Amino acid sequence: MSAGSTPLRSRLSAITLITTGVAMLVTTVLFLAGEVVAVRRSSLQELRILSEVVASNSTAALAFDNPEDARAVLKAFKADPHIVAAGLYDEQGRLFVHYPDNASAGSMPAAPGPAGYRFDGSSLIGITIVSEVQRPLGTLYVRSDMSAIYDRLVFYALVAAAVIALAMLAAWFIARRMQRQLSAPILELAATAREVSDRHDYRVRATPVGINELDDLTHAFNHMLGETEQNERRMSAQMSRLALLQQITHSIGSRHDLNSIFQVVLRSLEEHLPIDFGCVCLHDAANSTVTVESVGTASAALCESLGLAIGASVPIGHNGLYRAMNGTLISELDTGLVDAPFTRRFAKAGLYSLVISPLAVESSVFGVLIAVRRAKQAFSSADCEFLKQLSEHVALASHQAQLYGALQRTYDDLRQSQQTVMQTERLRALGEMASGIAHDINNSISPVGLYAELLMSNEPQISEAGRSRLATIRRAIEDVAGTIERMREFYRPREARAFTTLDIHAAIEQVLQLTEPRWRALPQERGIVIELRKDLAKALPAVMGDEVELRDALTNLVFNAVDAMPEGGVLTVRTRAFEDETGVRTAQIEVADSGIGMDEETRRRCIEPFFTTKGQRGTGLGLASVYGMLQRHDARLEVDSAPGKGTTMRMVFPAFVDATENSGSYRTSQAPMRPLRILVIDDDPILIRSMRDVLEADGHLLETSLGGQAGIDAFASSRGTEREFALVITDLGMPRVDGRKVAAAIKMMSPSTPIILLTGWGQRLLDEKDIPANIDRVLSKPPRLAQLRAALADLAGSTWSI
Amino acid sequence: MPFPLRRLPCFLVLALCCAIAWSAPPATEYQVKAAYLFNFGQFVEWPAGAYGSTTAPFVIGIVGDDPFGSMLDDIVRGESIGGHPLTIQRFEAGDEITACNILFIGRGEASRLERILQAVRGRNILTVTDSTGEEGREAIIVLRTESNRIRMRINIAAARANNLVISSKLLRPAEIVGETGT
Repeated sequence: MSAGSTPLRSRLSAITLITTGVAMLVTTVLFLAGEVVAVRRSSLQELRILSEVVASNSTAALAFDNPEDARAVLKAFKADPHIVAAGLYDEQGRLFVHYPDNASAGSMPAAPGPAGYRFDGSSLIGITIVSEVQRPLGTLYVRSDMSAIYDRLVFYALVAAAVIALAMLAAWFIARRMQRQLSAPILELAATAREVSDRHDYRVRATPVGINELDDLTHAFNHMLGETEQNERRMSAQMSRLALLQQITHSIGSRHDLNSIFQVVLRSLEEHLPIDFGCVCLHDAANSTVTVESVGTASAALCESLGLAIGASVPIGHNGLYRAMNGTLISELDTGLVDAPFTRRFAKAGLYSLVISPLAVESSVFGVLIAVRRAKQAFSSADCEFLKQLSEHVALASHQAQLYGALQRTYDDLRQSQQTVMQTERLRALGEMASGIAHDINNSISPVGLYAELLMSNEPQISEAGRSRLATIRRAIEDVAGTIERMREFYRPREARAFTTLDIHAAIEQVLQLTEPRWRALPQERGIVIELRKDLAKALPAVMGDEVELRDALTNLVFNAVDAMPEGGVLTVRTRAFEDETGVRTAQIEVADSGIGMDEETRRRCIEPFFTTKGQRGTGLGLASVYGMLQRHDARLEVDSAPGKGTTMRMVFPAFVDATENSGSYRTSQAPMRPLRILVIDDDPILIRSMRDVLEADGHLLETSLGGQAGIDAFASSRGTEREFALVITDLGMPRVDGRKVAAAIKMMSPSTPIILLTGWGQRLLDEKDIPANIDRVLSKPPRLAQLRAALADLAGSTWSI
Repeated sequence: MPFPLRRLPCFLVLALCCAIAWSAPPATEYQVKAAYLFNFGQFVEWPAGAYGSTTAPFVIGIVGDDPFGSMLDDIVRGESIGGHPLTIQRFEAGDEITACNILFIGRGEASRLERILQAVRGRNILTVTDSTGEEGREAIIVLRTESNRIRMRINIAAARANNLVISSKLLRPAEIVGETGT
């Protein structure tokens, strides 16, 4: 209750008291007024009677002039204390006697005045004619003060005050008792209202008390409570549905696959709405059916009997499904009353309430949500509205999930492409760098190789031991050249170099032999044992390839396997023939270890150039070169690894199917050919000299020019003479006038003259398809004698000979 | 009573003084007694048979010498008591006392007073005398002078004997006798 307001009780009391008080006051005032009038009248009456008695008794005294007697008569006034003065006047109006005796005669009026009774100020004055038998004898003057009246009035006022006080007290007591009858029910009603608002319990009802207006109030209050209770219940149902909707929306918002979304929705519906059966079907437009995509967990038991197991198809007839597929929410209150095959199956299973809610994205229905309850008419319009809204959310979420899947796939594709591009770019950069280095190295080692070959072929007097050493030198140079070649050609997709049929098992044996110190001797020094297991297939399909590269790759894999087993373990080398379901045959070579394994990150990056796990000991080129080699062989590398589980590196070579002629390969033996007149152009004097030595040893006639311009000039000057050149060998990379310009100039002069381009960039030039048309053959540095001879034989044979 | 002429100035001075003091000449003894006689008619009740008829006069009788002169006549002139006009009836000594209501027997008739009273005894006559001797004890009212005031002595028994009712008002200032005798 607020501070300014007064309690009902006080108000009722106040009203009662004020009413009583005013009534009493008015009564009292009227009474007192009446009393005043009555008292005045009775005072007059009294005075008149008294005066007349005294006057009557005074007659003899006046008649017989007896003042003593008159005084005695006047003494009768003593009985009335309010008579303050009296005087008897004789017939002539002279004062005869006065009362009281001790009053001076001067206090009496000189003449009595006319007869009568009147109020004079605070006194009542009575003047009476004294007569006997109608004969006037004198006049009696009597003065009475009004204190009698006033005394009486004061007495009455006191009595009235006491009465008022008593009446008010009585009224207060009665009011207290009466108002309790009134205020108690009101207070009780207020208490009920407070209780309701405090506890939010709207089931409480106020009790009628049997007073009309209060009962009306109570009934109205109870009615209001009832309304509120209903509203509350409705609202809380709505709230719980909203909460459910929110919960479901939230749950499905974080999911990205359709089935998971549907499962969450169906489970939530089963638990919280609840429903007895729920499933989601997707539209199959091609067959004009819907296919059950997902069934709620609790609904699984029923779905068989309904024929709605996952994957089951339901034809869309002209039934509820048809209308649902057109975007209308279908609610069947009693499936038993509907004569449609789809609806009937629910009625047969004892499920009588059915709601089919379309799942639509942008007004295209892609499926339906089916909710079923056992009881008839079990879905209220609020339930239907809820299911409709839920369907919209589910449809949106499904749509998003689909979009998300598409996005994810695109993203994965993109990432893969990006990785591929990055890998290629990296290899390309590496290749470019390696090319530069290789060019210089090739230039430097070319004379070594050429001289070694020359010595071996043209110096019969060299001892066997010397010949063997020259062979070693030559092999070493070849290996250097091969290494350089491979290094700079990491990225190149196709090896134009001639492949031979590989003897894989022989290569394995060689590699294991070569690497034995690494996997046996060195670990044993540290007390570590690495066991070698060989698991070689009896027969492998034929595989074309480069043996050197295969050996290098195997060596790299074996080293890696050994390095992965610092505590020892099992090194397994396995080969097997494999044919997949499409009939593609492959030869597989596995090098496996039981070592530390690789995590996902390492596994993904292990073939990147310069990526190493070996710290200072590793170059990061091992697996990169293996990868490059396999690329060139159309083979692939498979890596199986997990941390602690060891690593298996598997090289998968395609089987060689088309056994065509080994056209690209060079002939290893060369018949002696006719001598040719050859112009060799290079900016490197050492190379020129070595070329001269080598080719002249074969009987060719050589002229050399140091630099491109000098070469063109030499060719031009020889034109039309017997010194005309049958063939030109030119270096590609030369200052100012390079190999291309030289070739262009020569072909302009003599289109038929074959030109061999020697290049430190070797095969790369071939790939870039920018070989000038006027170049007949490209040879990489360092040129091998055999290649050189083959090229000369090819070109000279086809053209012109001395 | 005649005043000697030589005393007249003194009397005048006295009268003047009295006139100043009382603003009226002092009533003489018989003036007062005349007024008394008149007033008695109002304080005494006569029986209905006291009057010959309703128009019969109310008679004040005076026996012997009339000490009032014309004073009594002046007083009663035009007056009536109970509808009966007042008249004065003077009786000579020895006359038979005829119908009258009040009979005054002066001091001068003291010798005959007893006889007169005897004669009217039993008749409805209020007997009044100013003779204070033994002879007037049978009179109903005796007027006597007491320190310059005229006082009444009323014989209740005599009044009753004459069937007269004397008002109590008259009795209060009077001296009452004859009560124990009855």
